[in-house]
Amino acid sequence: MTDAIVVEGLVREFKGGILAVDGIDLHVRAGEVYGFLGPNGAGKSTTVRMLTTLLRPTGGRATVAGFDVVHDAASVRRAIGVALQDAAIDPFMTGRELLRLQAVLHAIPRQEGHARAEELLERVGLTDAADRRVGTYSGGMRRRLDLALALVHEPVVLFLDEPTTGLDPTSRVALWEEVRRLNRESGTTVFLTTQYLEEADQLAGRVGIIDGGKIVAEGTPTELKTSVGDPTLMITPADPSRVGDTAEVLAQFGPAADGKPGAIAVRLAAGAEGIVQVVRALDEADIATAAIDLHQPTLDDVFVIKTGHRLEGDASAAPGSGRRRGRGSKVGR
Amino acid sequence: MNPAIRQTVALARRSINSTFRFPQAWFPSLFFPLVLMAIFTASFGRSAASIPGFPHVDGFLSFAVTGAIVQGVLISAVGAGAFFAGDIEGGFFDRLASSPASRSAILVSRLCASVLLAAGQATFFLLIALVFGATVQGGVVGALIVIVLAALLAIPIGGLGVLLALRTGSAEAVQGMFPLFFALMFFSSTFFPRETMTGWFKIVADINPISHLVEGMRVQVIHGVDWQAAGTSLAIILVLAVLTVGGSAINLRRRLEGDS
Repeated sequence: MTDAIVVEGLVREFKGGILAVDGIDLHVRAGEVYGFLGPNGAGKSTTVRMLTTLLRPTGGRATVAGFDVVHDAASVRRAIGVALQDAAIDPFMTGRELLRLQAVLHAIPRQEGHARAEELLERVGLTDAADRRVGTYSGGMRRRLDLALALVHEPVVLFLDEPTTGLDPTSRVALWEEVRRLNRESGTTVFLTTQYLEEADQLAGRVGIIDGGKIVAEGTPTELKTSVGDPTLMITPADPSRVGDTAEVLAQFGPAADGKPGAIAVRLAAGAEGIVQVVRALDEADIATAAIDLHQPTLDDVFVIKTGHRLEGDASAAPGSGRRRGRGSKVGR
Repeated sequence: MNPAIRQTVALARRSINSTFRFPQAWFPSLFFPLVLMAIFTASFGRSAASIPGFPHVDGFLSFAVTGAIVQGVLISAVGAGAFFAGDIEGGFFDRLASSPASRSAILVSRLCASVLLAAGQATFFLLIALVFGATVQGGVVGALIVIVLAALLAIPIGGLGVLLALRTGSAEAVQGMFPLFFALMFFSSTFFPRETMTGWFKIVADINPISHLVEGMRVQVIHGVDWQAAGTSLAIILVLAVLTVGGSAINLRRRLEGDS
């Protein structure tokens, strides 16, 4: 099977010499969920806009579903489903009207388009809200509708640009489940951008980390985590006076790491499986433990190590994440 | 049905529906011309006939109604531009652009919607004027000429609105152009006959194509069917339409290629 998305040396330079995307290479296999992870302004949306034919690259080339995004844009558009981050939906239309319109845009015959609209409304749980104006929908409902709209023509490749930004945790998990199901049942290739590490970890088979317009790391979440180093094991002895003995025992399992006061931490050279030997050694040394903490490297650690800074706007620290490209939710009518 | 035609129809219907569902979008285009028509009629209704050079009319309302129609079309066509800009701002435009829909359907549907809305508006103003005692000398044919010209006028003006929307991508910027349109209308014979004007004002009104456009419509109401005047109006509309719709098409292409 050919690659669903091939990107070679893709560049987008804006007026004033700003390189939003600075020569990236990507290969997304058919049927894969690829997570494109990066902070605001890293170049994620610019990349998606180029891959969805909304923006012309100023350098390099890209194919989606085997079609060149510049020279065969019309074929690309027929093959892709797009849900952009602003959930671009006319607030004065109802969910059903929008789905039917989307079917017309894809030149789906009338009867088939209507049936498809009902099927998708059912699928994303919006049947009861189908005749309500989209302006009255909650954020989660809008995203679900947006996803349904992107699926009207059963696309080969689905682009989701920050699908859960601004959603509450429940809606976020529901949307993840829908994306997983779609990928599992229809084999749809999904290209997902996110600024949430957890989202990439949960959904993506492979993750590319983009920062400053360049891809700084790529691999499966596990590969990436492993690449930053071994898991850290932290032992808190039950008897505080035995901290020194604990350190001696642990020293044979790997280099020391930073731990809490009253505890000893070590980087497990043998990986997480090494924990069994550690516990056995502690038992032989007759050291009782009050707590054992195993810290696996997270994508967050990967991000910090690869980019030198934290992923702003992640999870709890999200309030500033609404500012992007000045295209907020304003309805200028 | 040809997919491009079907898409144009569906998108035009969507534009009309969304306009009706948002009273702020259509209310001003009906309300303001009516108010102005009422004020002018109340103020000048009696004295108009005695102003030197004022054409013989069967009541001032008959004279004022075409001005109101043109003003209404202007307001709603600016609204159409703002609506289009709202689509760009809100991302709906990206939805269209990333779909395989016909590129020309995006532009043509918006203009078709404006044409239909303008025809409705013109009919509405004519009916109101008739209720309040105006007469249409050109009869049914004259009224139809006025309605058709008003509907066609929505093409160049809507085209200009869309052109501004495509260039600025901002509904506010499009709305901001409104005073300019209004000035263009005031420095024309939209509200008063050129015969009553003097000096530089008359020169400006003489040059202003809006004057000739409005007069070509008005004569159907105050004198009777005049095909030659209608032809002049039509010619002005066509020339303006070629300019603004052509400009829109060029800018649409530019924006679709992502060079904005």
